[in-house]
Amino acid sequence: MSVDTQSFTAVEAAQHPAGRGPQEKRTASRNRVTYWALLVPGLLGLLVSFVFPLVYMIRMAFNEGEGNGIVRQTFTFSTIAKPLLDPYYWKVTYDTFAMGLTVAVLCVLVSYPIALFLVRTTSKWKGLLLALALAPLLTSAVVRTYGWMVILGYDGLINSTLVDAGLIARPLQLTNNMTGVIIGLVEIFMPYAILAMISGFGRVNSQLEEAASSLGASKARVFTRITLPLSLPGVVTAFLLVFVLSISTFITPRLLGGGVVQVLATEIYDQTTGLLNWPFAAALSVILLLLFGAIIFAYQGVIKKLGVN
Amino acid sequence: MSQPIVFKKRVSFVKPAYGFLVAALYFFLLAPLLIVFVISFSSNQYLSFPPDGFTLKWYQLLPQETTFIDGLQTSLITASISTVIVLFIGVPAALALDRYDFRSKALLSSFFLSPLLVPTIVLALGLVLILGPLGLTNTYVSIILGHIGITIPYVIRTTLMSLNTSDTSCEEAARVLGADGLTVFRRITLPIIAPGVLAGGVIAFIVSFDEAVISLFVAESGRPTLPVQVLRYVENSADGVVAALSVILILFSLVVVVIVERAMGLRKALR
Amino acid sequence: MPAPISEIETVTQPKLSLVGLTKQYAAGLPPAVDHLDMEVGEGHLVALLGPSGCGKTTTLRMVAGLMDPTSGSILVDGQDVTNTPVHKRGMGMVFQSYALFPHMNVAENVAFGLQMRGKKKSQQTTSVAEALDMVQLGHLSKRQVRELSGGQQQRIALARALVVEPTVLLLDEPLSNLDAKLRETMRTEIRSIQQRTKATTLFVTHDQDEALDMADRIAVMNGGLIEQFGSPVDIYEQPRTRFVANFIGRANILRVTVGERNGAVSDRQFRYAVEVDGLGSYEAVGESGLENSIRHILIRPHRLRVEHASTPGANGVVGRIESFSYTGDALTYRARVGGTLLSAELFTSNEGIIPQGSDARLAWRADDALILPEMVE
Repeated sequence: MSVDTQSFTAVEAAQHPAGRGPQEKRTASRNRVTYWALLVPGLLGLLVSFVFPLVYMIRMAFNEGEGNGIVRQTFTFSTIAKPLLDPYYWKVTYDTFAMGLTVAVLCVLVSYPIALFLVRTTSKWKGLLLALALAPLLTSAVVRTYGWMVILGYDGLINSTLVDAGLIARPLQLTNNMTGVIIGLVEIFMPYAILAMISGFGRVNSQLEEAASSLGASKARVFTRITLPLSLPGVVTAFLLVFVLSISTFITPRLLGGGVVQVLATEIYDQTTGLLNWPFAAALSVILLLLFGAIIFAYQGVIKKLGVN
Repeated sequence: MSQPIVFKKRVSFVKPAYGFLVAALYFFLLAPLLIVFVISFSSNQYLSFPPDGFTLKWYQLLPQETTFIDGLQTSLITASISTVIVLFIGVPAALALDRYDFRSKALLSSFFLSPLLVPTIVLALGLVLILGPLGLTNTYVSIILGHIGITIPYVIRTTLMSLNTSDTSCEEAARVLGADGLTVFRRITLPIIAPGVLAGGVIAFIVSFDEAVISLFVAESGRPTLPVQVLRYVENSADGVVAALSVILILFSLVVVVIVERAMGLRKALR
Repeated sequence: MPAPISEIETVTQPKLSLVGLTKQYAAGLPPAVDHLDMEVGEGHLVALLGPSGCGKTTTLRMVAGLMDPTSGSILVDGQDVTNTPVHKRGMGMVFQSYALFPHMNVAENVAFGLQMRGKKKSQQTTSVAEALDMVQLGHLSKRQVRELSGGQQQRIALARALVVEPTVLLLDEPLSNLDAKLRETMRTEIRSIQQRTKATTLFVTHDQDEALDMADRIAVMNGGLIEQFGSPVDIYEQPRTRFVANFIGRANILRVTVGERNGAVSDRQFRYAVEVDGLGSYEAVGESGLENSIRHILIRPHRLRVEHASTPGANGVVGRIESFSYTGDALTYRARVGGTLLSAELFTSNEGIIPQGSDARLAWRADDALILPEMVE
């Protein structure tokens, strides 16, 4: 026996969100012409300025070259094999990798407090401080590297101050070596790290921290048990971002390294512009690309794991 | 009679220490820019510290540095042209990606953002390898072409963000009221997404203007952009002219962003 | 013999016709709108009423042209507009979010449709002023959209849709985003504007009070189909299915076996003997052809009298009061009768409230028990 006495007073839950009209996007076939027409210029632009050069370069890595612009059209793995078999290039690759790792670690360390601060602060200056943190991105890497040359140079800011203060007898060698490059890169990539962390800090919530405090956790405990774990995705993203940026950067290793520091990027430049051995330069680029791809792949894995947690 | 509950703040020195740390890190972050600013007024001949005296001579010498003036011209021209191109091809693409559903959408979305995933130097090599045989190196075209790929993602991203948060009902309302597709875009969509488009354009301009690696590879000898000129200058000499130029560049970027922020801020208030 | 001339109904062409209108999003999924047939007379306000997901908004959007039907046609003044693009249909639409253009002021918003039609500037100004006066917001013509309240935005949206003298006016839950008080005021206002302008209107809502109050006809929709189309009184007094009975107003529904016909109430309503499962034999009314079948009867809660348990009478059952709701002016009893729960609504009087747990008799007039024509398996 079925009885219905409930009244469908019909106050339904489904309110359309104000931002989006009802679900349907236009899929009819007469629209196909429209959206392809909209996409084609962009696709063309990307094809010409991005895909073709990339593909051509990869193809070039399978040619043979002798420098001075002499290129033999062929298909061989020998050019790519050369850096893989040459201990000098192992060192270069290792240096590149190590530099990237060091820069990423240090950069994340110094950016974390700023990112955390910016996410948590309720000060009215928040917008300004955020802009300040990102402002360096407006300037060219060349300018910022130049600034570091002045700071770290032989007669630069640090050395003059330390010598004048009598703390050291002779100036420190902070440029034309990896140390200078690392310091410079750490600073140059800070805005990227800060940005990545701020976006990744979505789960950090002051209410959670207050809850932990009220449950008796000390400030340090709150940090290590609540804040840090929740901010991990942002930290990982920032780390990865800075790492890939470091291993592919050219200007700063060139300038602050003074031609002494050799990383993959500077090698590629030398081979391309100096030695004119384009297949070889392409081979090095392919290696760089593979490194890139492997890291991004690993990143997806890590992030997935963190997401599951 | 109820007693007011009083919360006592625990006095700790963690907060001020933390604040000091953040301030110090900010200082580190802005150090090179600050130093460049100081050096530009220093009367030292070489890259040294501390400054011997205050002078404006580097700024006064600037207009005479034809290499920098030429470089500025090149940079302005190429950055402007690439920005315009990228806006014209990127905004429609973003429109298609947001307002339409089709099978390859996710793939194309990633494709348009993929230049961000490739090291610039690798791209620069590819470009010079293609443009060289074509005789296009050391031309405006080479720089513009090279910059299109790396700036499109920004335009598409910011435009997509604007499109995402805008009310499609407005466009539908316009259509019902009698507006055809193009009119809807011109009169309704574009004004509403203008902030995103503008932001994308500004970022594209600045990225192109500041870009050094691609410009170095494809146009160093014939059409060096300003960053390339600065790079060459700094490699060889190290006097205050470069510092003065750098300060001007920094201020220029700041001014551009502030202007756009104002213009966008006014727009945002309209929503 | 042909009917006398005076009895021939003049057939006026409906303003809007939907013929077999269907929308199927993907093969294999049930259609969102399933072969809908409907006619809207000129100057009528028809409400599309139903729960969320019933297809009412989809139908509206197809009429507007914002969505393409899978099959079927839409006719305006007898002309097939199914393949006419949106911007050429000459309709007017008010969206749930009002969709006022944020970068234009009120006057520019209202003038937009006129601009699209190429009206001269002077004419635009006049028409806009008239439209704004009609919604009593003439003084806001230079304001920016963001400065308006929800109710004001809604009225501007209405003015914008009406100023172009649309063939059909489409309203997509225009009152849903307003608070209750405003909703009631706007209900009356929209209805009066609609009647003044004689705009043929299709109105989507999930609120039955709105539909009952505003509409000339209601199409009650469920699962992509129109379960019933009729005037508000018809829908309320003569629902044809359980869904309609439940959706409009409150309902007591009992499963019955219908016996013999027992006389006529009118030329279309007849009395039947019904056997209510486990509760006994009673009388109910219904249309012709219902004898010897299993149906449901509907008794509206406010048509149930609550009496002393021992009161004699034909149509009544005794049950135990399980709970009641008291809202000052009204009282709703819920009584368990046999295995079923019936609810009865009364206005309060100086008679006391029957306490929980006591027995009472719920009685109805035979004519207040309606047999729903819907077949029961």
